[in-house]
Amino acid sequence: MLATVAVVVIAVVLIATAVAVVVSDNLVHSVFWLAAMLITTALLYVMLEAPFLAAIQVMLYTGGVITMMLFGVMLTQRDPGSRVPSASEAPGWAAPVALGLGATLLVAIWTTPELAALTPTPSGDAQKIGHMFLDRYLIAFEALSVLLLAGMIGAIVLARKGDA
Amino acid sequence: MTWLWFFAKIGVALGIIFSLGPVCIMGDRKISAWIQGRVGPNRVGPWGTFQPIADILKLMMKEVIVPDGVDKVLFLGGPLIVFIAPVFGYCVIPFGNQIGEEKLQVVNLDIGLLFIMSVLSVGVYGITLGGWASNNKFSLMGSLRASAQLISYELTFGLTMLLVVMMSASADPLKSASVDLSKIVLHQAEYGWNIFGGATWWGLPSGLIGFVLLFTCAMAENNRLPFDMAECEAELVGGYHTEYSGMGFAMYMFSEYCSMILSASLIVTLFLGGWSFPYLTDPADHSFLAGVISIGVFFTKICIILFLYIQLRWTLPRFRYDQVMSLGWKTFLPLALVNIGYMAVIGVFLEKP
Repeated sequence: MLATVAVVVIAVVLIATAVAVVVSDNLVHSVFWLAAMLITTALLYVMLEAPFLAAIQVMLYTGGVITMMLFGVMLTQRDPGSRVPSASEAPGWAAPVALGLGATLLVAIWTTPELAALTPTPSGDAQKIGHMFLDRYLIAFEALSVLLLAGMIGAIVLARKGDA
Repeated sequence: MTWLWFFAKIGVALGIIFSLGPVCIMGDRKISAWIQGRVGPNRVGPWGTFQPIADILKLMMKEVIVPDGVDKVLFLGGPLIVFIAPVFGYCVIPFGNQIGEEKLQVVNLDIGLLFIMSVLSVGVYGITLGGWASNNKFSLMGSLRASAQLISYELTFGLTMLLVVMMSASADPLKSASVDLSKIVLHQAEYGWNIFGGATWWGLPSGLIGFVLLFTCAMAENNRLPFDMAECEAELVGGYHTEYSGMGFAMYMFSEYCSMILSASLIVTLFLGGWSFPYLTDPADHSFLAGVISIGVFFTKICIILFLYIQLRWTLPRFRYDQVMSLGWKTFLPLALVNIGYMAVIGVFLEKP
């Protein structure tokens, strides 16, 4: 019962912050709401008994969003007149697309047969996740790290265009 | 009874942060005076020991000025957010051995180290927000510098924590690592402190380098003096808290000391054996007296690290900004990586003696 209430509260906060990200006119405010949203998502993971995932979520996403915030600071003017186009300026067909997507998701959720209650397994265990990365999912793990490395090198090359 | 224990543990953890904080401020001023051959504060109370109380009272009486054109919510929220890191981070620090069934740690998380990393990453927000919301270019530059510095040094910080995890795995019979801080401390109590390389003497260089790296990075993370790029009177007025007055400023300043205490506790926990000390504490002794002694040992170790911090602050000249960045990226990061590589080889090929 308590868990259900907690999940509902988290869900409401999650949706509210997610909407705030899109709606707010100020880029830095948006980034701040995004950080709040990501932390709330981490709370959801805690409720699902995956503390490892929650910690990683906060560490990587919320920690990484700061960089975005810095971009936001650098790319937008701080004087009161300047605004970043937000929801109000979005093209007219955005609303039907969003509604259609929402409807599809709702239909998918309603038509999915109810899942059998999962027995709480200690799968959020950091050790087991580590073993899985280096054992069963090694190729996927390595492929991902190569992809990230490529992205990183690409970013450096782009940033040093002048004298590379 | 469990609830009573819970509150008692929260009390001790908060007590360590919030009572050591003013002591640190006092110590900072007294030790700086001592190093510079001055008298230091000596008017309020015996030997000037009530000075921090007077300081805090003064700051509380002051008006909180919210300048025109600031982003009000973020301006007032910034000082609150900087407090999150030290207070939440202290949840998982084991400050003593077990008493009976109760581990002396507010919550015993399996993911202790990761929790601390994630909480620290939230701490940057307070600085960035405060600087940006002030609507002042000096504040903004100060906060940008501070956050760039924090992000840069967080990498080495994380890699050094990884080193500790690897060290605690190398001597384990099952070679299984743990990020649980209480287990890391127990491991050190049994096999030797991580600064001396944990279980094997081959780890000694790795441990020493790791300790120096973590110590320096923690200093940089706290924006303490050799690294206090964020506040630079010649270039940036007061840095990110230029516009703050009264309690807003007090919270920024106090949180600096609180996070100093958190990093001192972290250094002690990760490298200096936490609450353990040879011949003084016994991991298997769960009596009340042994628990109190272990808290005392932990507290003494924190105080020594804090003294080192303050002493270094007043002995070393400060770096230039580009020197800070090149030290972080070109020296510390490769060094930490090589260190981890060395420890990995040691951990795989050498069994415990």
